Amino acid sequence: MDNKVIKVTNLVKKYGDFIAVNGISFDISRGEVFSLLGPNGAGKTTTVEILEGIRKKTSGEVIILNEDPENNRKLIGVVGILPQDFNFLWNSTPMDALNFYKKALGSKGDIRELLEKVEIYDKRDVPFQKLSGGQKQKLGLAIAMLNEPEVLFLDEPTSGLDPKARRNIWKVIETLKKEGRSILLTTHYLEEAEILADRVAIMNHGQIIDTGTPMEIIERHHNKDRLIIRAPQSISQSLKKVGFVGNYSDGYLEIELSESRDAAKIINYLVDENLSFEDFTLKRESLEDVFVRMVGDEDIESE
Amino acid sequence: MRILNLNNIIAYFKLHSRAYFRSKGSIFFQLAFPIILMIIFGAIFGGSSTAPTQLVIQNESPSQISWEIVNAINDTGIFKVKILNENSSINSYISDNSVSAALLIPKNFTQNFAMNGSASLIFTGIGNPQEEQQEYQILNNVVTSMNYKIEGKNPSLVLKSDYISQQSLKEVDFYVPGLIGFTILNSMFAMIYQVPNYRKDRIFRQLSFSGISKGEWVISTALFNFLLTVLSDAILVIIAYTLFGASLNFTILTSLVTLVILFSGMLLFIGIGILAGMVSDNEETVSVIGNLIIFPMMFLSGVFFPLAFAPSYVKTISDFLPLTYFINSLNDMLIYKNYSVLELEVPILIVFSIAIFLISVKLFKWNE
Ligand SMILES: Nc1ncnc2c1ncn2[C@@H]1O[C@H](COP(=O)(O)OP(=O)(O)OP(=O)(O)O)[C@@H](O)[C@H]1O
Ligand SMILES: [Mg+2]
Repeated sequence: MDNKVIKVTNLVKKYGDFIAVNGISFDISRGEVFSLLGPNGAGKTTTVEILEGIRKKTSGEVIILNEDPENNRKLIGVVGILPQDFNFLWNSTPMDALNFYKKALGSKGDIRELLEKVEIYDKRDVPFQKLSGGQKQKLGLAIAMLNEPEVLFLDEPTSGLDPKARRNIWKVIETLKKEGRSILLTTHYLEEAEILADRVAIMNHGQIIDTGTPMEIIERHHNKDRLIIRAPQSISQSLKKVGFVGNYSDGYLEIELSESRDAAKIINYLVDENLSFEDFTLKRESLEDVFVRMVGDEDIESE
Repeated sequence: MRILNLNNIIAYFKLHSRAYFRSKGSIFFQLAFPIILMIIFGAIFGGSSTAPTQLVIQNESPSQISWEIVNAINDTGIFKVKILNENSSINSYISDNSVSAALLIPKNFTQNFAMNGSASLIFTGIGNPQEEQQEYQILNNVVTSMNYKIEGKNPSLVLKSDYISQQSLKEVDFYVPGLIGFTILNSMFAMIYQVPNYRKDRIFRQLSFSGISKGEWVISTALFNFLLTVLSDAILVIIAYTLFGASLNFTILTSLVTLVILFSGMLLFIGIGILAGMVSDNEETVSVIGNLIIFPMMFLSGVFFPLAFAPSYVKTISDFLPLTYFINSLNDMLIYKNYSVLELEVPILIVFSIAIFLISVKLFKWNE
């Protein structure tokens, strides 16, 4: 059996002459959390909405659970959707909203359990416009989860939320992941992708620049690792003799490593030669450092 | 188009009505609106009307004397005179157009006058006995004074009345059908504002995730608005009867037909509302387009005052406003007991409304 729940091949979307999505391909396996990472306007929402079947593609192929999503009613309820800027009817409460989806989708989900899971059970009778941003987003997530969908599309589920609310939502997404659901998550938050995603795709100007696990991406694109040793200045001279040149300042020697394993060589050398040092750290670029360089820092939304 | 799913229609109906009834303001206005309108109209039109009445004249006996009478009536300036074509039947014209005042100069008029020096004219029409009296008086004065003007013999022209009085109609009876017609516009207001807002706020997108279709959404919204309209009309009629002593021709048949007229009117105006909502892409255009559609209908469809006295260009405009036909049908049936509308006007309205409704739903898009 095919293990891919989502297959995208050479997807293109043009708005008039403007190419919003420029021939991207990726696939998502069952149970995988896949994150599209990209700056504003990269084409993430456009891609996700084509996958959700609510936007027409210009060309390429999209298959969700062996179906073409465009105007395909078979996928309603099988796919859970939390759109970017989730919004609902003025004066509707979370309880009304979930009752509506439950009835329309004919789903058996327990509304109370769901509201407790996303921690807004106490807000169940509050009109939509009086919910806070985070509470609204949680309601959106609950609606997406209601029918126990195999595949979820979460478009920036935590944007604009405070760190605590963001972590609440991460917790829910982690539960979904544990339950074996496949999730396509778009985000600006690198930390979010690093924590939640099995694989990420870095998207910019409608193209995917690279795909892989966060580690793989860092591995492929990071600048040289740096070894930082806290030690007296004399150590700088000793290491220079064996070919490791660094910068010394304020009690720290920082050496750029041409190869990561040089770190071991240096430490071994210091130990063998009985040169005293207090401690050391090996610094590698984070996904964020790599990301910012990859997409060019001109248009990154500041957090 | 996919077959409509009743379950989805009910689901959305519940969602929508619960949200609606949570807003105390909207309920208040929905219920208070007819009361306010009734009271305002009661105050404005409670007194007698001073506007000129239209008088339809058919001269079946053209002669110098008969035209002199017509001219004399015209010269009073009290009536707007409409001369009916010789070949048409005045009685069917009266019932088809619910004419409230008409004068028939019968075929044998000239002959009788020439031979006997006396002849009679017939005052006819259907409607309000109070007005009938006034108009009869005025016409009678004209006719009597003609007697003095005509020289020679001792002429005696007599104005006979063949007036078809309705059971004592009150002022209120003349504006209730117009107000009922006006409430049909409710569903159009709702659409003109909801469609662009729901599109802008991406609520249609969110609703589509539930599997309900745009057709189901429209039907559900329409049903809800229909029930609201029926509710406010019921209140309006109850007030008209209890506070103002209305006595309209409400039978089981006319009540059912009124509901049918309301329902098809609602379909039509929802259709128009959707089309208008589709072309307005921001808040300013929404109100401009809304007013552009609503104001002419309010003033030129005979909601607030009958169009019998309006200049002819207004009538021409009014002929193009669909609301006019709804109000005329209601007027004919409820005031003048004229059931001929059931044969032609009402069926045409129903077919026309359904057609516009279906077209608008077809053109209307939820997403991109
Ligand atoms: N309906 C549309 N018509 C024309 N251009 C559009 C439309 N929707 C999106 N675009 C353009 O396509 C590009 C990609 O938009 P998209 O919403 O997919 O970006 P995104 O990656 O989701 O950005 P963000 O992080 O800000 O949500 C943008 O330049 C946007 O201006
Ligand atoms: Mg987006």
